[in-house]
Amino acid sequence: MYGGGYIPKEESRKTVSNDDPEMLATFEERVTRGEKVEPRDWMPAEYRRQLIRMIEQHAHSEIIGALPEGTWITRAPGFRRKLALMAKVQDEVGHAQLLYSAAETLGKSREAMTNDLINGKSKYSNVFNYPAKTWADVAVIGFLIDAAAIVNQVANSKGSYGPYCRALERICYEESFHLKQGHSVFVYLATGTPLQRSMLQDALNRWWKPIMHFFGPSDEMSEHTLTLMKWKVKMATNDDMRQQFLSLYVPKIQELGLTLPDAELRKDPESGKWLFGDPDWAEFFAVIRGNGPCNAERLAVRKAAEVNGAWVRQALRQADAQYVTPLA
Amino acid sequence: MNLPLNSVPIEETHLEPLRHLLTALADDHLILGHRHSEWTGLGPILEEDIAFSSIAQDQMGHALGFYTLLHEYFGTPDPDIHAFTRNEAAFSCCQLVEWPIGEYDFSLVRHLFFDLAAGLRMETLSHSSFKPLAQLATKIRGEVKYHMFHAKTMVGQLGNSSETVRSRLQTTINRQFGLALGMFESRPGEQILDDANIAPIEAKWRERWLEALHTILESAGLHLPDPDRTEPVYGGRKGYHTEFLQPLLTEMTEVFRLDPQAEW
Amino acid sequence: MSVEIRSLDPRVNRLGLHIHEPGAADTLPPHDHWGTYQVFHQKKRGDRHGAVGIVHAPSPELAMVYAKEQFGRRGETANLWVVDTRHVLALDYGDQDMFATTPEKSYRDPGGYKVNDKIDEYREKMSHELTP
Repeated sequence: MYGGGYIPKEESRKTVSNDDPEMLATFEERVTRGEKVEPRDWMPAEYRRQLIRMIEQHAHSEIIGALPEGTWITRAPGFRRKLALMAKVQDEVGHAQLLYSAAETLGKSREAMTNDLINGKSKYSNVFNYPAKTWADVAVIGFLIDAAAIVNQVANSKGSYGPYCRALERICYEESFHLKQGHSVFVYLATGTPLQRSMLQDALNRWWKPIMHFFGPSDEMSEHTLTLMKWKVKMATNDDMRQQFLSLYVPKIQELGLTLPDAELRKDPESGKWLFGDPDWAEFFAVIRGNGPCNAERLAVRKAAEVNGAWVRQALRQADAQYVTPLA
Repeated sequence: MNLPLNSVPIEETHLEPLRHLLTALADDHLILGHRHSEWTGLGPILEEDIAFSSIAQDQMGHALGFYTLLHEYFGTPDPDIHAFTRNEAAFSCCQLVEWPIGEYDFSLVRHLFFDLAAGLRMETLSHSSFKPLAQLATKIRGEVKYHMFHAKTMVGQLGNSSETVRSRLQTTINRQFGLALGMFESRPGEQILDDANIAPIEAKWRERWLEALHTILESAGLHLPDPDRTEPVYGGRKGYHTEFLQPLLTEMTEVFRLDPQAEW
Repeated sequence: MSVEIRSLDPRVNRLGLHIHEPGAADTLPPHDHWGTYQVFHQKKRGDRHGAVGIVHAPSPELAMVYAKEQFGRRGETANLWVVDTRHVLALDYGDQDMFATTPEKSYRDPGGYKVNDKIDEYREKMSHELTP
């Protein structure tokens, strides 16, 4: 649910392709005519590698994404909001499960992916490295960050890899509940008491920058990016998704009389494009590198969950069993 | 078919005992559901996390069901107000449900103890002569069936896994047993409700619970502590609670209390 | 040196976490998350069961416990099956060529038996014979 468009660049790799040109041609024809790639199909090594990275990162974003809103589960005001938040955060854990499962079909084990997460090797969406300071943060996250995630997921659901598309189908359906639920809290706070409204406006002011960072900086239209688009791994540019998000949701914020902390944010009447102030990409990169307000806490909590639960898993584990890659 | 609101008359002598029963059930489910929800995102494996969260949501929903009955038939305030503005002395939950979640064995054992009791209660109450309660209990029964499927499977497979884990579970069972017996603290006027076929006295439920628990624990390689040599931890039904309840309530109501009259 | 974590989440504070340097013990061993079961879901009686995904579980019973909530917590469910992934034999997509000619086997399809032209021809012929 929380897969932003941004996949961190790696150290420059020499992508010398050892792929059989005939197999590659068949593969690319399949993708071009809209046919899905399935788990044991021949695929370019780079396709497999990039898909694993992308799906894995999306899965990590979900399980880590459960933590900021999880902050408020025990304090949700009233039965309806409490039940809704419990269900929503449960869905995030559920989405992580669905996404790890899709990545597993490509040959990477859930243990290996979990290790890479807790050891800081694999990334997840930056936006979850920020703190959920008040109940109103739950509204902003539930409405606007889920909305951004939906833009990304709807784009990716038309991608080429079968298991990822199938996982996204279920995820997109559940996301529509999240968006409604988030928007509901948002509207109740915006139209409520002065205290509620100012709590919401404060949360919006704090989260706007991370939200503008959600889709990542403009793509470098390198050969690499173009190949990923040809292979339908990357389905839309970061800028296009950001524009789509702004078009859909800025009006919904403004119709409630709320303001956004960017004096330059406006829609250009001629081009129809949204213009905005410099989102501060330096902060984005600093946070991705581990220096955000909550990076250490997020990973420590995730690691603690694994460590504290190890005795349960180990008690029931059949150590000598041979397992196979799942179908999904 | 749902009965119209307030169409069921309640005899004068049944009022207080029935209100007490419903409050105890409501408070038990609210507090335990709240405790169970603390595991969401922190569980030992994703699949278990998801399953346990459903159990927590079910229990929260059961609490809401009981508070709604209280509101509709006994004039207690709206469920949100009633659950989110009382302090500990006004709560009738048993002390078992108040304890912090501890490690996973603590929560699993408590879940087994509680849901076994809940299943037995709902089974009888689904035949209660107080129809609105019978209807609610019938709905809850199906959900508790899943809770027991989960509890029996987990405890059974863990109990039969290794001597270390079996021994760990047994220690937890032994330590928690007195608290669990506290679920069956006798209720004021319970004999009146039993005579009217509204709800049995606690001692009857306790007996059936012990019998069922004995069977479950045996097949899990575990054993039931001796109830005659265990001091039940009473007091919860009379408003006497552990040091854990008030901090739980303070946390639970933190946002609501910013403005209990606001619409959240 | 370890630093205690102070979180905005009271649940996290109750975990009493510290930040340490990562160590060798921070890796999960193989199969730590168990093996997998394929899940098949039936929405209503009368429907076919359909493959909906997997759960990680150490046994069929726990797989079913988990499948119910991962794949049955919304919408309608009449029934579920769980099958150990090791017991599923999947055809290789590389062998899809075995199916290449199947769509051409019109002799297996109702549409492969068109006789209207033959009937029309015959009736035409008969009508000429009857009317000299």
